Amino acid sequence: MLEYALLAGLVFGLYFSLVGLGLNLVFGVMRIVNLAHGDFLMLGAFGAFWLFNLYHLNPIATVFIALAVFGALGVPLYYLLVPRLQRARDPEMLSIILFFGLSQVIEALATVGFGPSERSIPGRVLGSGPVHVLGQTFPAAWMVSAAASALAVLGVYFYLYRTRLGYLTRAVMVHREEALATGIDVHRVSAIAFGAGLALAAIAGVFAPFMLGSATPAMGVDLNIQSFAVIVIGSLGNPLGTVLGGILYGVSLMFMQTYFSSWANLLPYLLLILILLVRPSGLLGRQVRRA
Amino acid sequence: MPRVLRHTLLVVVPVTLAAALLPLGYSNQLLLFNFVVFLTLAQGVNVIYGFTGYLPFGYVGFFGAGAYGFSLAVIHLHMAPLAALGVGALAAIVLGLLLTPLLRLSGAYFAIANLAAALAVYQVVSNPNLTEITMGPYGISLSGVYHPQLSYAIAVAVMAATLGLAVYLRNSRFGLALQAIREDAVSAAMAGIDVVRARTVAWLLSALVAGLIGGVFAWYVSVFYPDTVFSADFSIFAIVFALFGGVATVSGPVLGVLILYGIYNAIGITTPQYFQLIYGLLIMGLVLFLPNGLVSLFKRWGIDVP
Amino acid sequence: MFRKLVFALLAASFAAFAGGARAAAAPAEIKIGTLYASSGNFAAISMPVHYGLKLWVEQMNAEGGVYVKPFHKKIPIKLIAYDDQSNTATAATLYNQLITQDKVDILVADSGSPLTSVAVPIARDHKMLLIDQTGTGAAFFSKDNPYIVLMSDPVSSIWPKYVADFLTQEGPKLGIKRIALLYATNDFTGTQANAVRGFIRAAHAPVEIVYDQGVPTNTTSYTVIINNIRATNPDAVITLGFPNNDISYLRNLQDSGVKFKWQFAIYPGLETEHLEKTVGVKGLEYVYTYTPSSVLEYKAEFGMSLPQFRAAWDKKYGEGKVAFGFNSVAGYTTGLVLQKALAGTESMEQLALRKAIFALSGKLKTIDGTFELNDEGAQIGEITPLGQIVPDGKGGLKFVVVYPPAATTGKPVYPAK
Repeated sequence: MLEYALLAGLVFGLYFSLVGLGLNLVFGVMRIVNLAHGDFLMLGAFGAFWLFNLYHLNPIATVFIALAVFGALGVPLYYLLVPRLQRARDPEMLSIILFFGLSQVIEALATVGFGPSERSIPGRVLGSGPVHVLGQTFPAAWMVSAAASALAVLGVYFYLYRTRLGYLTRAVMVHREEALATGIDVHRVSAIAFGAGLALAAIAGVFAPFMLGSATPAMGVDLNIQSFAVIVIGSLGNPLGTVLGGILYGVSLMFMQTYFSSWANLLPYLLLILILLVRPSGLLGRQVRRA
Repeated sequence: MPRVLRHTLLVVVPVTLAAALLPLGYSNQLLLFNFVVFLTLAQGVNVIYGFTGYLPFGYVGFFGAGAYGFSLAVIHLHMAPLAALGVGALAAIVLGLLLTPLLRLSGAYFAIANLAAALAVYQVVSNPNLTEITMGPYGISLSGVYHPQLSYAIAVAVMAATLGLAVYLRNSRFGLALQAIREDAVSAAMAGIDVVRARTVAWLLSALVAGLIGGVFAWYVSVFYPDTVFSADFSIFAIVFALFGGVATVSGPVLGVLILYGIYNAIGITTPQYFQLIYGLLIMGLVLFLPNGLVSLFKRWGIDVP
Repeated sequence: MFRKLVFALLAASFAAFAGGARAAAAPAEIKIGTLYASSGNFAAISMPVHYGLKLWVEQMNAEGGVYVKPFHKKIPIKLIAYDDQSNTATAATLYNQLITQDKVDILVADSGSPLTSVAVPIARDHKMLLIDQTGTGAAFFSKDNPYIVLMSDPVSSIWPKYVADFLTQEGPKLGIKRIALLYATNDFTGTQANAVRGFIRAAHAPVEIVYDQGVPTNTTSYTVIINNIRATNPDAVITLGFPNNDISYLRNLQDSGVKFKWQFAIYPGLETEHLEKTVGVKGLEYVYTYTPSSVLEYKAEFGMSLPQFRAAWDKKYGEGKVAFGFNSVAGYTTGLVLQKALAGTESMEQLALRKAIFALSGKLKTIDGTFELNDEGAQIGEITPLGQIVPDGKGGLKFVVVYPPAATTGKPVYPAK
């Protein structure tokens, strides 16, 4: 039971790092809290569902479509919302409200368009039968989702550390004003990061039917909170810390399910508060405390 | 006329009178009650966010703590409702004290940690292992003390006191000190303000407000589940209302509730199908075009608003 | 001839005079007020019920209205429905709006216990009879509150009776000794879990509960839990959850390759088509569940039969976004009970309506089974028999009723293949 919970936690945690990754990228670059993150994830899930149902498109293919569509959607959305927001007195706080509004709009449109019921894609689409790993068996779809998550994380790593644009992105993350002063086109860099953030959310959404059982228009709220737990544990504003956060979250969740199942949902919140208080910068992060 | 008196006469008195007298002519008292609840909660958010800059994203935690403090005092200790309200308030204050360490966090970190705290309290209260104490997920039924008239009156009193608190903060040295901390905590400390003490007091005051109105809410509604009183909607509505009107003023949150909650109910009753959509668009428009709230318009025109 | 006419006129004016104290003329419409949740957590269970009720209203109005006995005529129905968005505080305001502003004649609750709960004290305070559609919370019903009556689902505290009875009566014969119980920690499934536990203990049968755990209602991942249940080596597993729980659980069960010998879940029966779409046919095979009125054709003595209702539903809502299933039948049943009650009531007073509804108890047989109430207004009649879903040999699924003995249509397949 112990080994199983540990391994399942690792697999599940990898997926959860993908779930939190986009949220963290957006926060890291723009210092805004995208409270509609979970709703973009939901849109990715419904996209995968419809493409599978109408054209029998494999979700793996949908991943690339989601990347293109949501990446392209993110750029204009950025210019529409964020520069205006950043002129306000307290953009970080106001972003929470702004994106809450956006999440309401998305949820409303999704409910009108898709109906309120749960939707899902058969598990066999991502590989049939259980898979044996280190003497334990796991659903094949889990392993595929976890592998895809790992690839997405590597992709973000490659982008940030091996491309020129990623180099500029990191400069903006470290200090927005200084980056601006040195002549970096902060808005362009941010817009691309915003698009990437939405795309990552949508990609995570493509796997949601397999990892979370089903998708509904209302699923975004819960996912936002879990994403927060993941990225705060890792470190808010540091996309790669998300992986550590995701795995820690996944493993501890599975342990709780095994030993104190009815208290399992208390865990992410306690972990989040505890880490913020003891090591407020997250396990891999920078200063966030005042006074 | 001193500003305190002017603000009291301009906002506290008319709002309180309206809340007290409207039920005589308008029979959907519960709608009025919800207005009173949100007027109180929006001012509570104002106290902590408007004056000190901490965004209490889990403000509903205090509201729920108050509701459960009240209900459990009635159920287990067989207290009279008015005494039980004290227990509700106490529960919220104790929770506030437990959460004071969160005030060391800044910006979005505080908001998220506060949200997590509220959810943690909800998870504890609704856990079936604690059914003997909290009734767990099975919810509360207080039909024995149900008294809509009296509980409505108490709610109006709590609201009036909260408005009074906002007037005090708007016009006192203490309120100024809090705003100084919000702008720059280090400079405020150097100017001789006890930063930690001041913000803790503001935090507990705002917890007290939510705890009291949460207790009254439990009394008025009398049958509810944990998710009713821990619904994130309470936090979000209160924050959005306060921001819409304009924080760090007395009239801003009042205007915000009257206009936005008014629209919310109007849409809900007339065109329910586009309820959430219109509401979401309204909130987005608010942040983009009026980030400092409605009252900032008046300030721009040179009018001093309460 | 003339004498007859005068006589008739006299009689008519006398009748008008006698009835005139309350209502001189029939109203132009009967106002039924209700709420629904178009979005949020309860939308998936609320919309089918609401659509079922709406279908009934439109049918009635197409026939010129519903017959109302106190006025001796058919009166059109005006359905006043507001969207509470799954928000209980909003729901409370809107219930009050229906009572105090719209002054509805009949107050129908939203679906599910949480959105029904806030209506219970409001209705009682305004002395309005709350037509509770599917709010099965046991705490709603008490001897001192006559203003509530449950229409379509059995109250949670007795609903799982046949599940427990099967395990204690038939179980030992099949070799079932060890039972695992997994439930989502909310009022609906928590109360059913308590009921299962109580029934099993009271039976003093040679079975024991070896695993008994609650999980939060928004749990979406069950693989580890399934592994833990398997480690206790159960002969039978009862899982009680909402649709999202059942979907995740059954998918995880299928994907992880674990097969329990006997598996019960609620929603494969209540929302069969919906679960077929989300879990897949394979994942539902040999699962035990509540046999719902939407497949078990009760002899409907009143209202449409199941195929008729299905046809009417498809015609109106098409292959839509709102799933057809037990909940849609529940909403329609509410309408049927109201129709019968209005045809039998002495007046439009709330307590007279209550009396008329109670008079139907045990007598009204609809598409949803036999309508039967206990004296607190809780539904005890429409208990769903225990069924097993088995392959029909044509790539689809069919239900076999295995308990109670009087209703069985076949033998249970144990252990599941």
